[in-house]
Amino acid sequence: MYGWHLRILRVNLTNKKVTKEDVDPKFARDYLGGRGWAIHYLYNEMDPKADALSPQNILIFATGPLTATPAPTGNRYMVVTKSPLTGALAHSNSGGEFPTWMKRTGFDLFIFEGKADGPVYVWVNEDQVEIRSAAHVWGKQVPETTDRLKVETDPDARVACIGPAGEHQVLMAAIMNDKNRAAARSGVGAVMGSKNLKAVVVMGNKNPPLFNPDGMRDISVDTSKNVGIDVKKGSNLRIYGTAYVPQVTNTLGILPTRNFLQGTFEHTDKVDGVALKEQYLIKHVPCYRCPISCGRLTEVPDGPYKGKGEGPEYETISSLGTGCGVSNLAALTKANYLCNELGMDTITTGMTIAAAMEMYEKGYIPESAIGMPLKFGDHDAMIAMIKKMASREGFGEDLAQGSYRLAEKYGHPEIAVTARKQEFPGYDPRGSQGMGLLYATSNKGASHMEGDVAYEEVFGVPIKEDPLTTDGKPELVKHFEDSFALIDSSGLCVFLAIRYVFSKDRMVWPERLSEMMNLTTGAGYTPEEVMKAAERVYNLERLFLIKAGSGPENDTLPQRMLHEPLPDGPAKGKVVELDKMLPEFYKLRGWDEKGYPTKEKLQELGLPA
Amino acid sequence: MRIQIKLIANFRELLPPGSKNGIVELDLPNGTTVREAITRFDIPLDGSSVIVLNGLTVDLNTPLNEGDRITAFSAIEGGSTYRQGDDDVRLAPANPAS
Ligand code: SF4
Repeated sequence: MYGWHLRILRVNLTNKKVTKEDVDPKFARDYLGGRGWAIHYLYNEMDPKADALSPQNILIFATGPLTATPAPTGNRYMVVTKSPLTGALAHSNSGGEFPTWMKRTGFDLFIFEGKADGPVYVWVNEDQVEIRSAAHVWGKQVPETTDRLKVETDPDARVACIGPAGEHQVLMAAIMNDKNRAAARSGVGAVMGSKNLKAVVVMGNKNPPLFNPDGMRDISVDTSKNVGIDVKKGSNLRIYGTAYVPQVTNTLGILPTRNFLQGTFEHTDKVDGVALKEQYLIKHVPCYRCPISCGRLTEVPDGPYKGKGEGPEYETISSLGTGCGVSNLAALTKANYLCNELGMDTITTGMTIAAAMEMYEKGYIPESAIGMPLKFGDHDAMIAMIKKMASREGFGEDLAQGSYRLAEKYGHPEIAVTARKQEFPGYDPRGSQGMGLLYATSNKGASHMEGDVAYEEVFGVPIKEDPLTTDGKPELVKHFEDSFALIDSSGLCVFLAIRYVFSKDRMVWPERLSEMMNLTTGAGYTPEEVMKAAERVYNLERLFLIKAGSGPENDTLPQRMLHEPLPDGPAKGKVVELDKMLPEFYKLRGWDEKGYPTKEKLQELGLPA
Repeated sequence: MRIQIKLIANFRELLPPGSKNGIVELDLPNGTTVREAITRFDIPLDGSSVIVLNGLTVDLNTPLNEGDRITAFSAIEGGSTYRQGDDDVRLAPANPAS
């Protein structure tokens, strides 16, 4: 076989047993790789009802068939596990360099089981696998951990690790790789911390053999060329990174502002990509083999928020910035650096603080509980809260649970803007109806990366849709969810994939992507077959959700989205009309009217009925 | 009739010098449409641009009213198609919504 190594590394942290397993080629083809392979192992090997932070949970690192190939942006991996934040499924994506190095060890997947009896890290140098003590880096932040582990393994190795937040099993803890890249969402870092696994270090030279190396080279060069043409014309992602987006969402009235109390922010000019470029940008930084290069290396050169690192990205601006009513760009950038260093998801961190700010202002949480005033816009208080969260100190203990549990504890669950207990990303669905249906049905709780119809509703990529209508959204959401399951399984970055390896129709179609997968693996897929495989993956995840106790009853949105109309902006007066979309969505998915996959659908997909 | 044009991110370069925060004010005769107003700038009127009126998705032939704001930004990362052998860059077919 080509493309896939068809080998899995299994590390049992309890008994320190390391095993190497072969993968059945038919399974490999049917489940694509990455996210697809991983849900198969998660579904079959752990009890979905088990506590996510117990040794019964398993933690999977999964590369795709296009990872470590010449495909531009073939640099991704997925972290798949049961989420302690949502109590259901976590699958978080990251790029940088670690995933490519991981695949070059000669394994497609790493599976970590059990729990070590003290802090450890796992060092994988091709077939040589060691479980080493991490006592000396326990408590250390991400940059220092990364540097030290490279020194004691190989300076050319790559590191994925948790920071103090993951060690304290904070529910928004991320797994950071290459210092600044994050598999951020759903608390995957807390799971790693619960296993006493501080880091995974990888090194190797085993590039996967390609079925048609010349064809793969040509298609990769051509795809990069297409990107190059756009970049020459002026690509916003290259010039401003995702930080150009606040101006777009503010214009549409869907920029999360003050915990979604508003959809427009009066100081957007102070926290957008133009301001960031003028004030703090040093240079753009790409992930491995990426012609787009949307990452930003920035520096706040002096003053109280002095620091250097990557970001902020749009999703950080819309959470730690506008979400908290914060307009001080230096402080916001510093907050981003802190989250990276401590190892935390900026979206859930920011929106949890935003919920606490609203509750403080409404008098639902007394100042005595917090230890200081916590008003919207108070960037110093926000930074203080981030530090407390990472160490669960004082009020940080409450914040470390995320906004759903925080709001419930203080008697006001209506304040939490979450779906399946996960905080919303940066698109207010009252002004982008398709995103509302996506958040309500997403297998990992509220997330844009599960099937980002904002590409069409907001960005006009490839076709502009009216974001305020529900018409046609169920079919669009279903199609994007499946398309994103495919991208996440392939090993490509969404930013490139959606624009350059799918057709430019409203129903984007994976013509070039399936061709790339064929040139890599020799699997002979048709585009229809890869979409069917993606649907299989999506439905197996749904079965996991149902078994975990987060089934159709959780296909809903918080009160603010369903009953509190947006007070300002172009979407003023709108709520999410979920009941208009959900029944049709179920039907299109081949699920019954309650939202359970039908026997016929499962049989069609070859899943356990 | 006074209206505003706001251009986002890389489209800002198309604004006359001296415009603040990506915004320019224009004095236009009554009945001017979105399309007529935006053609004063070098913005591609096809699927590679997103053009909204007061934040709403509208037909480009919509007449403007006093105080309206047109906002435009590039969807260029997805707007172009290139086939091997093409010398010049071709743009995707016009946005059916416009
Ligand atoms: S587009 Fe951005 S996130 Fe994606 S691979 Fe390139 S640099 Fe990384």
